[in-house]
Amino acid sequence: MKVIAILIIVLTGGLLIYGVEEMPDWGDPNSPASSHVSPKYIQEALEKTATPNMVTAVLGDYRGYDTMGETAVIFTAGIGCILMLRKKRKGEGD
Amino acid sequence: MLEYIISKYNFWVYIILLLIGLYAMLGKKNLVKKLIGMNIFQSAVILFYVSIGVKKGGATVPIFMGDAHAAHGHGQAIIDVASYINPLPHVLMLTAIVVSIATTGVALAVLILIFRRYKTLELDEIIKIRKDTGV
Repeated sequence: MKVIAILIIVLTGGLLIYGVEEMPDWGDPNSPASSHVSPKYIQEALEKTATPNMVTAVLGDYRGYDTMGETAVIFTAGIGCILMLRKKRKGEGD
Repeated sequence: MLEYIISKYNFWVYIILLLIGLYAMLGKKNLVKKLIGMNIFQSAVILFYVSIGVKKGGATVPIFMGDAHAAHGHGQAIIDVASYINPLPHVLMLTAIVVSIATTGVALAVLILIFRRYKTLELDEIIKIRKDTGV
């Protein structure tokens, strides 16, 4: 069991180290993540949403439905915890 | 070679963290240790994404500096992209942190139920009990 785990770790680590070669350098301003979509958000967030904080603008305005779904996730998790941990009434099965 | 390692040093840290988490999930027999491994794994991914958004050369946090009302009113404020770091990874990881909290909470609740039934959290002992009782 431990041997298989270590084998998988070594294999995954090798693949990840191999994959780092393709990644941009630390703090590169022209990295792919910073050069395709995000300039548009940085330039337009204030004008379109009137929110100085860009993270808040994206979270609450551009991705508002995603945030609403996120509250559903937390609600489901909370309900699940309550249903699992509550005290059972008498006569209720298991 | 040394320059290559230093220029991408953030990725080595996250690879080590990710492998620690993966090993804890696969190799450990205690269910709480598996859960802690999952949390370390998630932390590695979150740190990785946040580090993607970093820009060198005078970029600050993605909050608009200056007179926001004036810029909004006249509409034509020229915002220099290079002066703010990338906000999108931060937003995505805010969502991921929330999901990770939810999964951790549900997993701890499940662990409490498992402990109530089997009086142990060791995976091999649970498997043995299940084999012996035929459940």
